[in-house]
Amino acid sequence: MSFGSPYFTLPDFTYHKPKTLREALELLEKYGDEAKILAGGVGLIAFMKERLVSPSHVIDIKGIPELKKLEYRKGEGLVIGATVTFSELESYQVIREKYRALYQAVKLASDSIIRNRATLVGNICEAIPWVDGPPPLIAYGAEVEIKSLDKVRRVPVAEFIKGPVEIDLEPGEIVTSIHIPDVPSGARSGFVKFNVGSEFALVNLAAYLSLNEEKKDVRLVYGAISPKPVRALEAEKILSSEGDMRTLIISAAVKASEELEVISDVLASEDFRRHLIKILTMNLLTELVEGG
Amino acid sequence: MVRKISLTVNGYRKTVEVKDNELLIDVLRDKLKIKGVKAACWRGECGLCTVLLNGEPVKSCLVLAVEVDGSEIVTVEGLSRDGELTPIQKAFIEHGALQCGFCTPAFVLASHQLLLENPNPTEEEIKEKLSGILCRCGTYYEIIEAIKSASKFYQKK
Repeated sequence: MSFGSPYFTLPDFTYHKPKTLREALELLEKYGDEAKILAGGVGLIAFMKERLVSPSHVIDIKGIPELKKLEYRKGEGLVIGATVTFSELESYQVIREKYRALYQAVKLASDSIIRNRATLVGNICEAIPWVDGPPPLIAYGAEVEIKSLDKVRRVPVAEFIKGPVEIDLEPGEIVTSIHIPDVPSGARSGFVKFNVGSEFALVNLAAYLSLNEEKKDVRLVYGAISPKPVRALEAEKILSSEGDMRTLIISAAVKASEELEVISDVLASEDFRRHLIKILTMNLLTELVEGG
Repeated sequence: MVRKISLTVNGYRKTVEVKDNELLIDVLRDKLKIKGVKAACWRGECGLCTVLLNGEPVKSCLVLAVEVDGSEIVTVEGLSRDGELTPIQKAFIEHGALQCGFCTPAFVLASHQLLLENPNPTEEEIKEKLSGILCRCGTYYEIIEAIKSASKFYQKK
């Protein structure tokens, strides 16, 4: 993907603003891959300027009431509709208190003016490897709900993102919401990223720890180091084993920096990214275990 | 496709003909001649085209004109009342919070909105809220000082 000389204009298209989900799905069915969904527009409009996409039909879903849903229910979890912006997530008390990794990722994503428009669903649908939305969602085991005229299906975010700019979505389908399971009391989560000069991460990491006596549940999800976010399964095993937590954290951080496939690109070498993985893992886990 | 949209810009009702693929920044600058909306990067990075859309700062180079049909837009031209500058504008002048001045409309507008919502922001909050606007002259220190000093006027309101 090139962010070379930007065009100042957009390609020609017809704008649609459906008032119901059914109307939007009918438009999608009719125009197929000629159509693109517009929510916040910070991705789609920028991509259209670069001519990375040139849809003949743009379907604005901001007029559909059910996609504005942002709701938490104890035991069931959190539902985030397709047009909910980062700023709305930032000011939602439940996210700040219970879903710390998501809250911290939202606060670190881009800048506050972009966050007034950008949506979390848009963020994962773009499937750009260095964005901050996917790692916390994968750490919580979140799923996306996808609707078309004749069916509804749910896919884990981890599988929905297939690779750079590649998602599990057919023409005629739309992502209506993200569902995040409730987090048990005592579970902790957090997010960190390393970036220089731009908001794009060189490495980002979401961690989820539920260290109950009976069942230990640990998830470490890394973004920006590979074509799609990945879990460090061996490091997770180390953290779930018995022993002194500080020693386990150091072993897990070293393991994570070794076990994953890591890319090398113009932003950072593979070695530097591995170093960052080690440091970020150590810092975040220490903070989660020792803090509050 | 060409269609008519109506919007309120700085308190005035306007009806404009726009094409579906026209950007809000172009309609404001070229059709409504509101030049306080600056165009620089065109891709949502510099923030100089920031306007208040229904009271929320947004970057108008990433918004379609058709999307704002029925909305209320405020630009820097809409801040002063009866020829009197707002406290934040005066504070920018007093603190010399500009060099070339190209980013000033966006900073003034975003800081005005910030102070309306949070009349006593910490330095961290100011930096976070304004992080989407770039000043290539590097006048950030003075800008932050100006906002701090103007905050007392917003607390009285």
